[in-house]
Amino acid sequence: MIAAKTWREVRYMALVYVLLLLLLDLPVILLWPTVYDDLKKSSLFKTLGIDFMQRIGTGITDTREEIAYRNWIAVMLFFRAVNLLGIAAAVLMGTALFARERETQTLEFLLTRTVSRGRILWQKSWPTILCVAVPIFAVNASAVYWSRVIELDLPWGPLMLASLHGSLFVLAILAFTTFVSVLSRVQAHVAFWVGGVVVLQIGIYLVPRWRPWSLFRLSDFDWYGPMLAGNIGLDGMFDPVHGAGHSAWMVLAIVLFYGLAWRALHRLEP
Amino acid sequence: MTEAAVIAVRALTKAFGARPVLHGIDLDLRRGEFLGLVGPNGAGKSTLLRILIGLYRRSAGDVRVFGLDPATDSLAIRARCSYLPGETSVYLQMTGREFLAFAQSFQRQRDDVLRQRLEDLFALPLERRVRSYSAGMKQKLAILAALSAEAELYLLDEPDRALDATMRAELRVVLQELHRAGRTIVLSSHHLEELQELATRLEFLRDGRLVPAVEVERARSRLLHRFRVRLAGDRALPPGCRELQRDADGMLVLESDGPPLQWLRQLDPAEVRAAEIGHTRLEDLYQLLFLPHLDAAGASAADAAAARATR
Repeated sequence: MIAAKTWREVRYMALVYVLLLLLLDLPVILLWPTVYDDLKKSSLFKTLGIDFMQRIGTGITDTREEIAYRNWIAVMLFFRAVNLLGIAAAVLMGTALFARERETQTLEFLLTRTVSRGRILWQKSWPTILCVAVPIFAVNASAVYWSRVIELDLPWGPLMLASLHGSLFVLAILAFTTFVSVLSRVQAHVAFWVGGVVVLQIGIYLVPRWRPWSLFRLSDFDWYGPMLAGNIGLDGMFDPVHGAGHSAWMVLAIVLFYGLAWRALHRLEP
Repeated sequence: MTEAAVIAVRALTKAFGARPVLHGIDLDLRRGEFLGLVGPNGAGKSTLLRILIGLYRRSAGDVRVFGLDPATDSLAIRARCSYLPGETSVYLQMTGREFLAFAQSFQRQRDDVLRQRLEDLFALPLERRVRSYSAGMKQKLAILAALSAEAELYLLDEPDRALDATMRAELRVVLQELHRAGRTIVLSSHHLEELQELATRLEFLRDGRLVPAVEVERARSRLLHRFRVRLAGDRALPPGCRELQRDADGMLVLESDGPPLQWLRQLDPAEVRAAEIGHTRLEDLYQLLFLPHLDAAGASAADAAAARATR
């Protein structure tokens, strides 16, 4: 019943999220041939002072269209799907999970039922996880199909891995938001703290010297680009010893934040 | 703990950080008892109930409900308990019917007869969203959800809050029936007359401590000297009695040095329009135990009035 209640609470947000993902995904794929022609003529990216923007510019204006298109998809994964809509969805759906229950004084009702706190966390989390992660994975992965419409091929395997990584990144944000939601009494405070962390991370990312310390480094163009080019495989994603292992850190963050959320909920005295 | 003991609390202490809320509470409740918890806001009544249901952890002491520790066996306790939180806890986005179904999904056993009766009694628009309910309607819905669970123990934190007088009377009847059916009930309320009518036993919480029985008995003895009388005219009172309060309708609350009846005999029976002796009101007991300054102020005012009358 708790899972069903959570689903009722997030279903419309999830629907809007899917529609926005599709709305921002399909045109950028289907309009690629036109965009590519315009990009080749433009020197906008190359003249920008930001180093990663220059790399993006170089990547998406590559004279080999197949390479340029993969880079275009990598940019889409970096900017649109994961770091814009993905984070927004994770924060919007995650803030309400516990903080709103405290705000509306229903958490006491929930915590005094014949159901353990661990089960409450699980039943509130899994519908949200599905609503946040499945759409972003499915829409990102569907680029394989839509690319054929414009007579371009995307490698199936690397795109699946990149989509998986994007979903893991968004889930890590959702797990962090859930943890903060357990700690907070007011939903707006959760949005403030999580939003604050995200803005701070963006700031750190924009300074090249500090970038290695930014979480966005784990899910940016420099990660998705080589991944879609087939240079980072499953082992590179999940092996932090021999490879970058960014996905392993994501999994670790998800486990850590849900663990912290469980611990905080277990100790909570609303 | 005896077999019939439903609740056994020993030296219970609870603090939130450095702020102590409960100090060394000892409490036993036997099966079938109806306990009324009395105390001002912030005395620790809700905290005590929350510890019993396993929502809060105790800082020290020992607590057993059905012989189980709420800190470790809260789910087993809740399976035999029904708890009504002090704050109205209902989901605004649900309809009344959906909320009841949600609440009942956690209940092992339901009393459908009582539920139907309460539904008829409260006449709530259950198909409407709770968001559109008034404060009283929300409270009725919360009561409906709590009382329709067939439980051995009911922990009710101010169930009569936001209810009008008619509904409070109806709720009183329902609680009496539950009690007669052998259920154990702990009720916290600020409606003292109703508590007095319902509870088979009262415990007074003051600043996180249970008021000792000796002190309660002393206050009760003192109240035996307190009585109400309405007199014709406005003559000075005979000696041996202090005026504590004068109501707008002319009813006097007096405290006599000796037995009230002996003092009343000094009056001409024609002068006495109404008199009430020997009825210990919980409200008066509450005033003596929790508001001694008011009592003292009343007494001083009465003394001053008596002095003026003598002059």
